Amino acid sequence: MTSTLRPAQVPVRLPRAQGNPLVRVGFRNLRAHKVRLLLTVISVLLGTAFVAGSFVFTDTLKHSFNAIFATGLKGIDTRIEPQHDYDPGVPANLAATIRKLPGVAKVSPQISRPAVVVDSHGKRLQTGGAPSEAGGWTPASESVTPPATFAAGTAPTTPNEVVINQGAANKAHLKVGDHLHIVLANAGTVDVRLAGIYRTASDTGGYVGVRFTQQEAKRLLTDGTHVSLIDVAAAPGVSEQTLTARIKQVVPPDLKVRTGTQARDDATHGIASALSFVNYILLAFGIIGLIVGTFIIFNTFSMLIAQRLRELALLRAVGADRKQIRRSVLLEAGMVGLIGSVLGLAGGVGLAYGLRALLDALDLGLPSGALVITTRTVLVTVLLGLAATLLAAYAPARRAAQTPPVAAMRAEFASTSAASLRRRSLIGLVVGALALVATIAGLNSSSAGSGASLAGLGLVGMVASAMLLSPVLARLLIVPLGRLIGRPFGAAGRLSRTNAVRHPRRTAATAFALTLGLVLVSGIAVIGSSMKASINAVFDNNVTAYYILSSQTAVSVPEPAVLAAERVPGVGSMTQLYGLSATVDGQHRVGMAVDGPLTSVMKLTGTKGAVAPTGHTMIVSKTRSEKPGWGLGSKHVLTAPGVRPITETVGGVFDNNQLLDGWLVSGQVYRQLTQPTDRYVIVGLVKAAPGANLAALRTGLENATNDFYVVDVQDRDQYEGQIAGQVNGLLGLLYGLLALAIVIAILGIVNTLALSVVERRREIGMLRAVGMQRRQVRRTIYLESLLIAVFGAVLGLVLGLAYGSLFTHTLRDQGLNRLSIPWGQALTFLVVAGVVGVLAALWPGIRAARTSPLQAISDL
Amino acid sequence: MTRPMPITSTPELGSPAASATGVVKLYGSGETAVRALDHVSVELMRGEFTAIMGPSGSGKSTLMHCLAGLDTVTSGSVRIGDVELSGLSDKQMTALRRDRIGFVFQSYNLVPTLTAIENITLPIDIAGRKPDRLWLDTVVMTLGLRDRLSHRPSELSGGQQQRVAVARALAGQPEIVFGDEPTGNLDSRSSGEVLGMLRHSVDELAQTVVIVTHDPRAAAYADRVLFLADGRIVDELRSPTADTVLDYMKNLESV
Repeated sequence: MTSTLRPAQVPVRLPRAQGNPLVRVGFRNLRAHKVRLLLTVISVLLGTAFVAGSFVFTDTLKHSFNAIFATGLKGIDTRIEPQHDYDPGVPANLAATIRKLPGVAKVSPQISRPAVVVDSHGKRLQTGGAPSEAGGWTPASESVTPPATFAAGTAPTTPNEVVINQGAANKAHLKVGDHLHIVLANAGTVDVRLAGIYRTASDTGGYVGVRFTQQEAKRLLTDGTHVSLIDVAAAPGVSEQTLTARIKQVVPPDLKVRTGTQARDDATHGIASALSFVNYILLAFGIIGLIVGTFIIFNTFSMLIAQRLRELALLRAVGADRKQIRRSVLLEAGMVGLIGSVLGLAGGVGLAYGLRALLDALDLGLPSGALVITTRTVLVTVLLGLAATLLAAYAPARRAAQTPPVAAMRAEFASTSAASLRRRSLIGLVVGALALVATIAGLNSSSAGSGASLAGLGLVGMVASAMLLSPVLARLLIVPLGRLIGRPFGAAGRLSRTNAVRHPRRTAATAFALTLGLVLVSGIAVIGSSMKASINAVFDNNVTAYYILSSQTAVSVPEPAVLAAERVPGVGSMTQLYGLSATVDGQHRVGMAVDGPLTSVMKLTGTKGAVAPTGHTMIVSKTRSEKPGWGLGSKHVLTAPGVRPITETVGGVFDNNQLLDGWLVSGQVYRQLTQPTDRYVIVGLVKAAPGANLAALRTGLENATNDFYVVDVQDRDQYEGQIAGQVNGLLGLLYGLLALAIVIAILGIVNTLALSVVERRREIGMLRAVGMQRRQVRRTIYLESLLIAVFGAVLGLVLGLAYGSLFTHTLRDQGLNRLSIPWGQALTFLVVAGVVGVLAALWPGIRAARTSPLQAISDL
Repeated sequence: MTRPMPITSTPELGSPAASATGVVKLYGSGETAVRALDHVSVELMRGEFTAIMGPSGSGKSTLMHCLAGLDTVTSGSVRIGDVELSGLSDKQMTALRRDRIGFVFQSYNLVPTLTAIENITLPIDIAGRKPDRLWLDTVVMTLGLRDRLSHRPSELSGGQQQRVAVARALAGQPEIVFGDEPTGNLDSRSSGEVLGMLRHSVDELAQTVVIVTHDPRAAAYADRVLFLADGRIVDELRSPTADTVLDYMKNLESV
C-alpha cells in the first residue's frame, strides 16, 4: 500500500445530527428503490381510488340533487301525495277544499304519467334511465314553485299543443312549431304541435317532460277524479308546519301529507338510494382492489427485506434494536401507503368524473355540478390505504426485526426459503373444512336466502383456505404444469419451473390477484350463463305464442295497439297479460290478469280445475294454493280504491311458472279494478291462425302497431334474445371486475418478477457467463410468469365455477333452474390469464436479459 | 518443466488456447479514467495450468474477465483459440462462452433449485445439446461426485459445491477453463482438493486452466504464474512453489 493514513487536513463534516438515523435509512431506502416502490404505490392507488371514487360520486350526486330540489321544489310548503305507487292518486276535488283553508296562498294540483315523445321523423326521444313523462302546464300565476321560463315559444293554449323541457328539445333538435307524437299507455298516440320550450331547474341529463294544457292533461292522463299530487304554498306569516297540520285535518288518512322540507329531503334521498348500487359496485371494486393490493405490498416488502438482510443485520450489529428496525420498515410502508392513498384520492376524483361523464352519455338523468370532496372522503381513503399498507408490511417488518446481527457476516446466495409451511397449511385445511361444512349446509338449506348466504360464507372460507394452502398447491400444480409447458424449452423450461416454486409463498401471493379476480368473474359467468339458459328454457318450454308484442320504453304496450293488432288478418288469437295491483283480503298484492285464451299461447303443467281465469274465477300457482286459505274453491275479496269489492273463487291451480305471478284474474275483473289510465299491458301474445302466412302476419302486426312507436313485434327467439341482452348488461360488470383484477395482477407479477430478477442477478449473471443467451433468459422469466399466472387462474376458475354452480343450485327456486357452465368463456379467461402472465413478464424479462455476466462475480 | 507432459490428442499442443495482445482496459472516462490494464500481451498455452497473481487492484481479475469474454477491452485484441473476440456480437460471444469456455467462480454460483447433476449439465442443456455420457462419467468420477448427483447445493459442503462447479466447467469439454479465486471461499483441505482436481484435469484430461488467485499455495499448483501490478504483467514464474511465489509477492508489494 502506497497511501498511508494521514490526519485529516480538512475537518470531517459530520452529518447533521438531526432526526432519527433509522428514519433516515427508511427515507433513503424509499429513494433507492423508486421503481419497485412505484409499483407498490400503484397497487395502493388502485384500491383507494375506487373507494374515494365511490364517495366522491355519491356525495356529488347528493349535493347536486339537493341543489336541484332546493330550487325546483322551492316554495312548496305542503305536498299531498298518495301513500303508494299503486294508489290511484290524490282526489282532484281536494284542491278546492284546501283552497278554502286559512293561511293557504296557492294550491297547485300536478299530473304526471309516463309518456314517450316521438319527433316528426318518427324517432323516439331516448332517455336512458331518466324519467320520460307527460303532465299539465302550470301557469306562472298558479305555480307554487318558481315558475318555469320560456326559452322559446309560449305556454300551450289548445288541446293539441304541448311544451317540452329545453334539455330534451336541444338533444332532439326540436323547434317551436314541430309536430310531435306523444305515446301514452292508455290513450295510444296523440299528435301535437310544439308550442314552447321551457327551462326548469330539474332539467337533468336525459329527462323528457312534455306538458299539455291543464284540461287536456286531465282528460288524457287521469281518470277525471284524481291528480298525481297537490302542492300548497302558505300565505305570508304561516309556517309550513302550521299549514301542513291544518291540511292534515281535511285530507283522508290514506294520503301522505308532508312539509315542503320533508318532500325535498325525501326526493334527494330517493334519488341517492336509487343510485346507491353504483356506490356499492365501486366500493366492492375498491375493497377487492385493496385486498389484492395488500398481497402485492406484502410481497414487495418481504422481498425488499430479504434483499436488505445484510444491511439490516449491519444496523443491528452497530446497535439498532428490534423495535427501531421494525419501525423503520413500517415507516417506509407508511410512506408508501400515504403516497398511494393521496394519489388514490386524486384517482378517485378522476374516476368519479369519468363515471359521471359515462352515465351522462347514457342519459341516466344525472345533474351537472362541481365534484364534492368531503373531509370524510379524504380521511377514509387515506386511513384505509394506510391501514392496508401497514397491515401488509407488518409481518415483513417483524421478520426484519428478527434478523440476527451475525447475518451481516454471512454472504449468502439468494436461496430457497426453508421456512416450514406446515402450520399455514394446517390452518388452511381447517378453514377449508369449515368452509365445506358451511357450503354443504347452504346446499341443503330449504330457503334460498339462507342457502345463498351460507354458500357465500363457504366461498369466503374456501378462498381464504385456498390462499393459505396455495404455497403447497403451487408446488403440486406448477411442477407438472411446468414439465408440460416447459418441455419444448429445455433448460429455460426447467429453470422457469423450479424458479416458480422456489418461493412458494411469494408465488402464492403473486398468483392470488388472479385467483380472486377469476373466482368472481367465473362465478358470475356461471350464474349469468345459467340465467340465460333458464330464461331460454322457460320460453322454449312454456310459450307457444308465435309473436310477442312488448314495449321497452317508459310506457307499457298501449291498449289501442293491442286492439289494432288483434284485427290483423292471420291472427288466430291475442292474449294480453296485465300487471295488477289490488287489495286482496285486506292486503295489497301484485298479481296478473289475462284477457284472451291463455292455454293457446302458453303451456301450463300440473293444472287442476280451470286452466284459465274466467268471470269471477281466478287461478293460482301451486305455491300460492299451498298457503293457508288458498286451496281450490277458496274465496277472496279483491278491492281497489273507489271500486266495489269483488269476490273471486279459486277455480284452478297450475305448476309454478316463471312467466306468471302467483294469481291470475280475468280481464273483466281487471277492468273493473283498474282505471283506464292505470292499465298496464305487460305483453300481447299472438297465436297465428291455422294456415296463416307467418311473414305476412308479422308485417301486418308491425304495420298495425307502427303508429304506436313503442311496440316491438318479436318472435320467441328475438324476445329471448332481448331478455338475454339484459342479462348481458349485468355480465358487463363481470368484465369490469376482470379488467380490474387483471390490472392489479399485472402489477403484482411485474413487481414480484422485477424483484426476483434483482434478487437473482448473480445467478442470472452466472447463467449468462456459462452461455445462456439473452433470449433464453427472457424466455425463462416469461415462462415462470406464465406458470404463476396459469396457476392463479386455475385455482380461481376451479373455485369460481364450483361456487357459481352452487349458487345457481341454491337459487333454483328463484328461476335459476338450469345450470349452464360456460366452458368456452372459462377457457378464454385461462388464456387471458396466460397472456397477462407473459405481458407482465416483458419488462422484468428484458431487465433480466440485460444482466451482465460479470454480475456473477460481483460481491453483492 | 518438472511435471510429465500431459497425454493429449490435440495436435496444436503448445499453441495458445487464448491470447491477449496490447490489451488496454479503461474504466470511466476523461480525467477520472482508471487504467485497469495497460498494454497487456500474454499467451496462454494449451494444456497448461496458469495462475494470475497480483495485489488488489493490479488488474488480475480484469485481465481474466477480458480473456474469458465476460468483459470487453478498450483497445487491443483478445483471442480464444483462433477467434478474435472484439467485433463479436453479444449473441456470438455468449455462444462462444457456452461452447468453448468453462467457468469456476469464487462463490460456486450454483443454481440452488437444481440438483448437482442438473447444475453440471446446465451449460449443455442451455445449448440444447446431449451430454457426452462417457466424458460426463469421467468428470463425475474424477471429481468424486458420483454419490452426490441428486443433491441440491444446500445439501453439499463448500468443497463439494465447488467440485460441482468444476464439473460444470469441464462437462462441456471447453477449450479453456477460467477460475476466479476458485478457492477463495474454501478451507485449506477443500482448497487442496479442488486445485488437485484442476491439476488432474490438466495432466490427465489435457485441459487448459487459468485461475486468478492471491494464495501462493494455490498458485503452486500451476505450471506458470503471471504477476500483475498496476495493470501490467511485471514478471512470470515457471514451475512455482508456494515459497518462491510468496517471496516474489513480498518483493512485489514492497516495491
